Amino acid sequence: MAHYVPPKQGKLSQLFDVVVLMALTFGALYIPMFMGLAGGVKSVPEGAGQTWEAMGQNATQIAQYNALGFTDPAAISNIINARYDYSFSITALLVMVVIIVAYYVLMLKFSETEYREVIAEKFDK
Amino acid sequence: MAEFDITSKERDGMGPHGTNVGLLRVLGPAHVWALGVGIVLVGEYMGWNFAVGKGGAYAALVACWFAGILYTCVAMIDSEVTSTVAAAGGQYTQAKHIVGPLMAFNVGLYLVFAYTMLEAANAITAGYLISQVAALSGFTGTLDQRPFIILSIMFLAWLNYRGVLATLTFNLVITAIAFTAIIILFLSTSGIIAPSMMHHAELFAGNAALPYGWIGVLAAMHFGLWFYLGIEGTTQAAEEVRSPARALPFGTLAGIMTLLIAATLTWYVCTGLIPWEFLGDGLNGSVAPLFTAALLTKSQPLVWLLGVGTLFATLASANGCINDASRAWFSLGRDKYLPGWFGAVHPKFRTPYRSILFLVPIALAFALKAPLDQVVTFSILSGLLTYTFMPLNMILFRKKWPMGSITRGYEHPFHPLPSVVLLALCAITFFAVFLGYGTQLVAMIAFYIVASLWFHFWRYRFVSRAAQFTMPWPRPKGY
Amino acid sequence: MSIWNYAEYAAWALSAAFAAYMVIDWLKTDSTYSEEVLTSSREGELEAMTEAKGGHHG
Repeated sequence: MAHYVPPKQGKLSQLFDVVVLMALTFGALYIPMFMGLAGGVKSVPEGAGQTWEAMGQNATQIAQYNALGFTDPAAISNIINARYDYSFSITALLVMVVIIVAYYVLMLKFSETEYREVIAEKFDK
Repeated sequence: MAEFDITSKERDGMGPHGTNVGLLRVLGPAHVWALGVGIVLVGEYMGWNFAVGKGGAYAALVACWFAGILYTCVAMIDSEVTSTVAAAGGQYTQAKHIVGPLMAFNVGLYLVFAYTMLEAANAITAGYLISQVAALSGFTGTLDQRPFIILSIMFLAWLNYRGVLATLTFNLVITAIAFTAIIILFLSTSGIIAPSMMHHAELFAGNAALPYGWIGVLAAMHFGLWFYLGIEGTTQAAEEVRSPARALPFGTLAGIMTLLIAATLTWYVCTGLIPWEFLGDGLNGSVAPLFTAALLTKSQPLVWLLGVGTLFATLASANGCINDASRAWFSLGRDKYLPGWFGAVHPKFRTPYRSILFLVPIALAFALKAPLDQVVTFSILSGLLTYTFMPLNMILFRKKWPMGSITRGYEHPFHPLPSVVLLALCAITFFAVFLGYGTQLVAMIAFYIVASLWFHFWRYRFVSRAAQFTMPWPRPKGY
Repeated sequence: MSIWNYAEYAAWALSAAFAAYMVIDWLKTDSTYSEEVLTSSREGELEAMTEAKGGHHG
């Protein structure tokens, strides 16, 4: 098969490619953050207790908090009371599964095409 | 190691024509261990405790061991492929030879992201630690953490720029100190050489051990990876070790054993001293759990030891990350997967200096602007995508080049069991990330899909086809 | 001013020094050597070299 000769890439075009890639990267990382969608959804249930007893802390646990410098239970109640919410919708889960599987399938398929070309050029002299 | 005549025809690392400037083969198995464990050990000093927050103390232990199995599979698979495909770029070069160019491009990006984000997380922790030390020493103002975050990244980038041998020897020393600190903390709190300070029974009372029930155990797998994330980076040194076929499997497998020990001891000490709600909140609670544990022992020497341990662990990790991320970026540039400008090697220091420099501002941008758990999650996600690729890679490797068709430096036992186990554990971890961090997961995958399309339809035109297949192997079976 | 305030300034200064070293060396290297020499590293060539010489190097 014909030997593929890649075009030489100029300085400006190289720079442009880097800018594109960087824009994608920062986009992927910052867009969810700006939209307030990122991060673990940990929240304090309403009406949660503010005293050691109401937060269910035993003597040893209170002693360790005191040793850490927290003698006022109200000051640390936000940390003790916060919980994740693990309820999720099956639809959201299915959407995620489809996205991940589709991603890998797409990639393996394109890779396979490109790989056959590489092998053909390498071994069919 | 700075002065080389680059026109020498004798020098190791030169190409056959005597004019090429390549990386230098100077490392031994201990450096491989230091690179692997050095990157990861910081996971014991910070980050893993988010697993306690996601599922409680027992959930974190289950996650720690299941992730341990996952990484043992990773290490076995990696050892076999890398001892055979010995080139900088590690999994990227493997993917290029075994799966195909687009997969390789994606794997290269996973590696760069996993390591650059981890580097940012390390710098954040180093800055935090220095502010803690300032507070402990009686400083009353608010310390500006930024100069310390920047300094840790700049110093390590400089070290990496100047040469790989000094970089990894430095890593060997500080990693060994950080590991010893964990052992000493365990010995002096668990009742072996001093009276026990452990309160497991009381701290686990009520529903404190498994506050979310079994779904919490699944959710904890997300940060369970953090105990070991980065051990696969040993492969990046393949072009710089003196004897890849021997040093890489040895260093990697010794590394995973070290980490299993360190992870279990860390879990034991921290959960026995720190109430889980505080331990599990790595942002407002215990940012550096081993250091918090040392504070609770009220022993000044232990506080100092673990303070130094935490700082060294973060530096060792950031150092290894700069090393690995720049090798991966360099390899992508060398093959024109990225602009060829990045494929340059410094003629004196023999390092991929342009890649090292280029990644500095990116690491800084995230270290200074993003919260720790986000940065950690991005790193974990990129790592997870790499681990999902590995079993696919392994199965194809054995299929395209069956045993005996090429010389392998190391052959892992029980194929395909490790690959299947690894794939199953990855699926569980994807679900764990989905619980609580689903948006990032989707954003990340969307990024890789867009980047893949960009590569396939635009960037790949600059890549020579046959020239990227550099291993002296026979034609793959079935092609 | 506390010692920690001085530490902040020292950290800024050192960061700048390391950055300056790398940037200056980078520009110097790029102008001293040709692009062909700098980007002459090829995957796999090392391998051929090591095997040819018996794989022993110090």
